[in-house]
Amino acid sequence: MKKTNRILTILMFIFLYIPMVVLIVASFNTGKDITKFEGFTLHQYAELFRDEDLLRLLGNSVLIALLSTGISVAFGTVAAVGIHSLKPKMRKVVMSLTNIPMTNPDIVTGVSLSLLFVFVGSGLLGQRESLNFWTLLIAHVTFGLPYVILNVMPKLQQMDGSLTDAAMDLGCTPVQAFFKVILYEILPGIVSGGIMTFTMSLDDFVISYFVTGSDFVTLPVEIYTYTKKPIQNKVYAMFTLLFLLIFVLMVVMNLLQIRAGRKRETMRSVSRGRMIFRRVIAGAVAVCLLVGCCALIFSNKQEKITLNVKNWGMNMADGSDGTLDIVKAFEEKYPHIEVNMSYYESNEALYSQLNNGGITVDVIIPSDYMIDRMIQSNMLLELNFDNIENFRYVDEQFKNPAYDPENKYSVPYTWGTLGILYNTKYVDEADLTGWELLWNEKYAGKILMIDNSRDAFGIAQYLLGYSINTTDKTELDACAQKLAEQKPLVQQYVMDQIYTIMENEEAWIAPYYAGDCMLMMEENEDLAFYLPQEQGFNLFTDAMCIPTCCKEKEAAELFINFLTDPEISGANMDYICYASPISAAREHMEAYLAESEIVYPSEDVLEKGTAYAYLSEEITRYVEGLYQSATKLNTFG
Amino acid sequence: MSKELIRLQDLTMEFDGERILDSINLYINDHEFLTLLGPSGCGKTTTLRIIGGFLNPTSGTVIFDGQTINDVPPYKRQINTVFQRYALFPHLNVFDNIAFGLRVAKLPKEEVNERVNRMLEVVSLRGYGHRHINSLSGGQQQRVAIARALVNEPKVLLLDEPLGALDLRLRKDMQIELKRIQQAMGITFVYVTHDQEEALSMSDTVVVMDKGRIQQIGRPEDIYNEPKNAFVADFIGESNILDGVMLSDYKVRFFGRTFQCVDKGFAPNESVDVVIRPEDIDIVAPEEGHLVGVVTSVTFKGLNYDIIVEFKGFKWLIQTTDFHGEGSTIGIRLNPEDIHIMHKSEYSGMFGDYSSYSAEYDELTEDAEDEEE
Amino acid sequence: MRKNKSVLLSTPYILWMLVFTLIPLGVVGYYALTDPETGGFTLSNIWELGKYLPVLGQSVLYSLASALICLILGYPVAYYIAHRGPIVQKILYMLVMLPMCMSFLLRTLAWVGLLQDTGIINSFLQAIGIGKLQLIRTPGAVILGMVYNYLPYMILPLYATLVKLDHRLIEAAEDLGCTPAKTFVKVILPLSVPGIFSGITMVFVPAVSTFYISQKLGGTDTVLIGDLIERLFKQGDNPNLGAALSLVLMALVFVCTGIMSRFGGEEEGGVIV
Repeated sequence: MKKTNRILTILMFIFLYIPMVVLIVASFNTGKDITKFEGFTLHQYAELFRDEDLLRLLGNSVLIALLSTGISVAFGTVAAVGIHSLKPKMRKVVMSLTNIPMTNPDIVTGVSLSLLFVFVGSGLLGQRESLNFWTLLIAHVTFGLPYVILNVMPKLQQMDGSLTDAAMDLGCTPVQAFFKVILYEILPGIVSGGIMTFTMSLDDFVISYFVTGSDFVTLPVEIYTYTKKPIQNKVYAMFTLLFLLIFVLMVVMNLLQIRAGRKRETMRSVSRGRMIFRRVIAGAVAVCLLVGCCALIFSNKQEKITLNVKNWGMNMADGSDGTLDIVKAFEEKYPHIEVNMSYYESNEALYSQLNNGGITVDVIIPSDYMIDRMIQSNMLLELNFDNIENFRYVDEQFKNPAYDPENKYSVPYTWGTLGILYNTKYVDEADLTGWELLWNEKYAGKILMIDNSRDAFGIAQYLLGYSINTTDKTELDACAQKLAEQKPLVQQYVMDQIYTIMENEEAWIAPYYAGDCMLMMEENEDLAFYLPQEQGFNLFTDAMCIPTCCKEKEAAELFINFLTDPEISGANMDYICYASPISAAREHMEAYLAESEIVYPSEDVLEKGTAYAYLSEEITRYVEGLYQSATKLNTFG
Repeated sequence: MSKELIRLQDLTMEFDGERILDSINLYINDHEFLTLLGPSGCGKTTTLRIIGGFLNPTSGTVIFDGQTINDVPPYKRQINTVFQRYALFPHLNVFDNIAFGLRVAKLPKEEVNERVNRMLEVVSLRGYGHRHINSLSGGQQQRVAIARALVNEPKVLLLDEPLGALDLRLRKDMQIELKRIQQAMGITFVYVTHDQEEALSMSDTVVVMDKGRIQQIGRPEDIYNEPKNAFVADFIGESNILDGVMLSDYKVRFFGRTFQCVDKGFAPNESVDVVIRPEDIDIVAPEEGHLVGVVTSVTFKGLNYDIIVEFKGFKWLIQTTDFHGEGSTIGIRLNPEDIHIMHKSEYSGMFGDYSSYSAEYDELTEDAEDEEE
Repeated sequence: MRKNKSVLLSTPYILWMLVFTLIPLGVVGYYALTDPETGGFTLSNIWELGKYLPVLGQSVLYSLASALICLILGYPVAYYIAHRGPIVQKILYMLVMLPMCMSFLLRTLAWVGLLQDTGIINSFLQAIGIGKLQLIRTPGAVILGMVYNYLPYMILPLYATLVKLDHRLIEAAEDLGCTPAKTFVKVILPLSVPGIFSGITMVFVPAVSTFYISQKLGGTDTVLIGDLIERLFKQGDNPNLGAALSLVLMALVFVCTGIMSRFGGEEEGGVIV
């Protein structure tokens, strides 16, 4: 029995550590893919320390963890002393209150806090930015406090109550008694509570994900959005370094404990007491310093204007692969502005985030039908075109579009088509007969489906020959039925995750936007793009707008103007592989893109494309409901 | 003699509507060794904690050296306490524990060192300064606790069952030690215990308490010899308590006989409680005895035998050095000074009957003693 | 009075917890009962919940399965650790804790790399000639992800209970004629019940509400309640329905933990370390 236990234990540790090994190995990999080790390199580590964004995110996480730990520990310890002297009945009530965030699932805590902040901040106080650094801090303190209390309370209960009396008897005021006596007694509880709070806060992603605003993002939240995109190896490098750091810290702590335990009898308690005290003071000082730093960061920020841009993933040149770093170029031109970029996955997600409120966003780049919807919901500000003189470069055909007939709210950014990306290695050319490729049972389990209601319904509508702007509910129901039929064949419903999956051939067929498909084709030459012209396809325009939750409208207009410069637009398209609505930009693009039939389809192809229009709030919700039932729940049909 | 130091006036204490102390009136003289004695829950620790400043009385005043100190917090009182189970600070060594109060008062370092070292001498712990608290024996910890309190040179030292956690031998030694320290330092000791022997052997004054009220205050001898009611009589030593009638001064009647006694001042024919200490009873031949009874049980106690003797259906405890076998018939004689007469009280009839006597009875009640809250 | 003053120290905390735990739940309730478009009172969100019951059932099933697997895997390990010498115990304890401190997201992602069709395990299987297996996007993969992520939550409370177990009880049982197996069933197992139940609770609660593991390791049929809540808030633009679902999830969890703590006795499982 002992032997089997040992074997099981060893197996369990292997199980626990295998993924860690995979990640650590990946950090030394020259190749991009986590599954194929192509060669050893330390390059990723150098990259990591050059990546200011990543370091800033890590800094954010550590800052919030330290601050919330400091506050939780101080606040929680004081509270524990208070709770300890409550009458038993009251104490029980308070302890069950303490247990709520402990037992409540994180997602419910996150949801409830975010609703509270938005409800009170935006709803009652009329504050625009009700989700921000402070709400994140409050949330972390709220889930950290119970850990401190639950660790400190038992120590207080174990403590001989007359120690406090004794200290006061010997001349201590209650406060002195706390610092000279009680603190030492409950210190182990405080320390373990603090450590737990710190690790929980550092790694928390669920609660942060719901309460974080756009101005202050922590590493795990960013990683969540990263993992939807191709994850960069330098993230693994950071993981490896953090792993080593925590490992070393833990070993050191354990060694200290073991040594302290061995020496307890012989060691002079004076030095031990002073040692602990020194540690406490050091911790307190560190926290104070951090508060100072934090204050500094915030006061610094006030000198610069922060421009919050919300964009699709991989939708702006960032300087990689020799392209222009647009944001950097903009910041160099306008040194008083700092661009803070965050991402959304779909038009619906963007709408949802803005509509939920609580965040500040200055520039967004939604698609046509969503712009119409936002205009109708009064979510966009009219632009001041005096500040966007580059608008003159925009082709006439893109001015005054159907979604913004008087062209008051938007400046086009890109346009493109939605087609099917497929892997020529596995997909038979003969099967490229139209959208039904996505329903082809031959490729069951290797088909990805686009994960947003409008595009998914659009595909079904093309397939069934309906108008993509139909409001006929029987037609919509038929589409949902079609999507439900497709479900068993679908490997996953994805948006940006498509990159990794298609590139490493985990799936073979996926409908996606032309520009992104181009990017993937650059990575894997077996990939090809197919546009089902006969049935029709979606032709979309993404345009830059300023939402009503904007804070820096002038800077936002500067940014829009900057992006509308033909040269900049061209350089941008080089990276994102979309078509620019500015003809002049095409001249600045690399030839292979400018001449690509995928990026710039010929006129006769374009004729077959149609654009989505905003239908109505009722139909939009109806479609969303149908989409959920058909693809997420098994309740359709 | 010496001047009054502490006065408790009409002290009443209630917790959650339950009355813990009921109008306590008490004064304590300078240099006095006063003991609060009583069973668990009698209010003695509460009284001590009020004097120490850890509790505020519901009503009544605490006067220290002529001044009301009700609102003075403990850290401003010239009183120090030796706590039950010592309450030594586990994170400090012996020296630092003793120096604690002096350092809080921010005395210069040399003075702290000097006074702590002197105190270590007083409690015979020289050279133990660097020892860790947990490495000390119970008796040593006890002495550290005393030193820690005394080093502050308080006017009054409160001791809350300081010897409760020690074994019997150590307890006896420490009793002597404590008395010695008290005399050497010349400070007032207020001592709380449930151990009547400890109280009688150490104190100048004993205050017997029960149910939140003072039952009797007096010198140890008076308490023992002249208990005021059945409770005191029973709590201090063993007593046979009988119903009697005081016929007139110096004449009491019980068991159908009239006895000579030394008490007076009772109303004619007043019903009284009669106390007879087990060790005061002389055993004689049946024909010579005032009363004749049959031995029903014998327990060997080392110094003496405890025997239970039945007189007309009523059982007495008698302590004797001679052996009398179970079933034997004996006679007893009662001298006038062996008979104590008390007024009837709420305790009458509750004590002094050995009908259900068992040898373990004493120990059981002692073990049940616990901290009062 | 002295005591009263320190009681006051708990007041800010109580206020904090009321404002940031209890009131938010009230706000969730408010949202659950209002219409997303008009903002008026409605019960339609509640009526819609019926549609979500199968998903809820699936979530409960998966997380219970993973809690049980965690128990079966975790118990021998906890037992083994609890019976090592103090230093080995500390090291092993630390090794169990360590993964919990690392990014949950990246570790789950590593499993994707291991399990996917073109992943490490399948490449290996193919190389040795067994051929590919469908590992990822199965219910098993989701449960594996849960077991992997929450196994330490099972081991730690079990270890805490087992290490406190008085060894003399085992000796006494053996003295009274129990074989080691009997001792285990009759003495050790009953005494570790509080640890077992707190472990199950600590695995079950995060597992039933997760939305990342299923997104990464699950297929189109393994949607869990957490996924839906996330979707409703972040993409579906229906926070009201999301709020109603959150309430259901919360009620479920509170009922389960209530039952667990009843079985587990008074021992509070929330505290570890």
